[in-house]
Amino acid sequence: MAMGAFVGLVGFSHSFELAWRQMYSNSGTDIAVVPQTFLNTSVNQSGLDKLRTLPVVGEVAPMIFSFMALSADVNALAYGWTADSFEFNAISMIAGRHFRDGQPEIILGELLADSLKKHAGDTLEIQGSNFNVVGVFHGGSALEAGAVIMPLDQMQKLSSLEGKVTAFHVRLKPAPIGESSDHYMARSQASIEAALPGLRAVPAVERASNNQLVLLAHATAWGTSSIALLIGILGIANTMAMSVFERTREIGVLRALGWNSRRVLLLIQIEAAALGLAGGLLGIAFGSLALRVLAHLPQTANVVSASFPIPILAEALAIAILAGLLAGIVPAWRGARLSPVEALRYD
Amino acid sequence: MTNPQLELRAVTKHYDDGRVEALRGVDLSVCAGEFVTISGPSGSGKSTILHLMGGLATPTTGTVLFQNALLGAASDTDTYRSQHVGFIFQAFHLLPTLSAIENVQVPMMAAKGADRNAERAETLLRGVGMENRLHHFPNELSAGERQRVAIARALANSPSILLADEPTGNLDTENSARIMKILTGIQMERGMTLIVVTHENDIADSAPRHIRIRDGRIES
Repeated sequence: MAMGAFVGLVGFSHSFELAWRQMYSNSGTDIAVVPQTFLNTSVNQSGLDKLRTLPVVGEVAPMIFSFMALSADVNALAYGWTADSFEFNAISMIAGRHFRDGQPEIILGELLADSLKKHAGDTLEIQGSNFNVVGVFHGGSALEAGAVIMPLDQMQKLSSLEGKVTAFHVRLKPAPIGESSDHYMARSQASIEAALPGLRAVPAVERASNNQLVLLAHATAWGTSSIALLIGILGIANTMAMSVFERTREIGVLRALGWNSRRVLLLIQIEAAALGLAGGLLGIAFGSLALRVLAHLPQTANVVSASFPIPILAEALAIAILAGLLAGIVPAWRGARLSPVEALRYD
Repeated sequence: MTNPQLELRAVTKHYDDGRVEALRGVDLSVCAGEFVTISGPSGSGKSTILHLMGGLATPTTGTVLFQNALLGAASDTDTYRSQHVGFIFQAFHLLPTLSAIENVQVPMMAAKGADRNAERAETLLRGVGMENRLHHFPNELSAGERQRVAIARALANSPSILLADEPTGNLDTENSARIMKILTGIQMERGMTLIVVTHENDIADSAPRHIRIRDGRIES
């Protein structure tokens, strides 16, 4: 159960991060320009013009994102884009059309449209304002497929962020011949930060991993699953202690047959690790099932993908084995210290 | 007498912080290739002697020597048990989750450089007439068969000493005779030292050397 909780929660947070990466990658964003500290959540839109004048900058897309409750049981990410934003490259319309700037129009990701049972031509009330659903799109990641996108100006009104944006997404011009991509990225970051003091230019991949929502998801997942893991370790320790207790005579036999205490310790530790591994495999099955369920629940479908990254599986199995080994230390130590004669006499 | 293979010198063994005196100054020498039986009433200390000779326990006072070297100090008792000693118990003590052939392989895992293959285990089981029960689990075997597997297991690392603690204690007359025949046959054939603790007079008297023990002291 503990490993299931770990796999489910950490898998959730990682799929969330993965979706962010996918989103940046799909749109072709190279750099996100964001406030320097987490204390500020927005930047002045006036920086847009300065950014556009920089020689390394190809295109700039000002944007706002926020997590919104769209109905009693449907939450979704809401984006504010300009109608000409290059972010549209990340999505493809499957019904209707793009929205227009200055209009109370929205487009819905297919998952969200399905959850809300809305189609192009319908209206949707968001935080007291009515919006026309002008299109439904297919998004390359769960974050887009489950999102609502509206004109930046409408989003600014809705969020009381007039004149401000959450970030500028920047597409760089191609790197000059002979300059490495890493060097070009570093130079571009420095150039942007010099032009816009107080802001940070963060490579898109890094931004996908350390934006506040992803960090919060990671922290929650690790915090909760650490508690579950601790309970799991205590469970395995108890099982192993019982096993050593019940097999006292068996351990005595092994010692009588020439097994040294180190080998007995190793045997018990291998069993504990195997128990951890079995728990890990069950946990993966349970966790992936939980993720699948979450990916279909209206409350979470818009931010969770049922896909399960291989590194998470490997990480979960490694942690499960480590938990087993940790849990096995005390029982193994006790088993290894048993006197062979006392153990043989044990009933 | 030739050089003793195993020797107990002025050995005492106390349990429960000295409240139980299992052995009270025992001197005993056993030569290589000897067949010795030890008998005595319950609690007389006969099993304790076997445990000390097998390196399973250490004396409270006195010394135990194997080939004139102090056991438990100069030599590693785990290595001593895995290389030089084979144990046979009254309750067989086979591992219930392992088949007969796997049980025989268990001591092989403890011996350095030991040949742990199944072929050798099979040969040993054939030697005790268990060729048709190789893959049977202990709960599928009769008491006599279990003890024969235990004998094969005791021989796994080709020890020079066989220590048997009441090996026929859980067997009927027919199986007791068969087990003793196997043990003495192995002792003769391999020239091993065989020390059998028993409370059965006919078995005790069948050995060339019979040691009687009472109240932690050797009587004769």
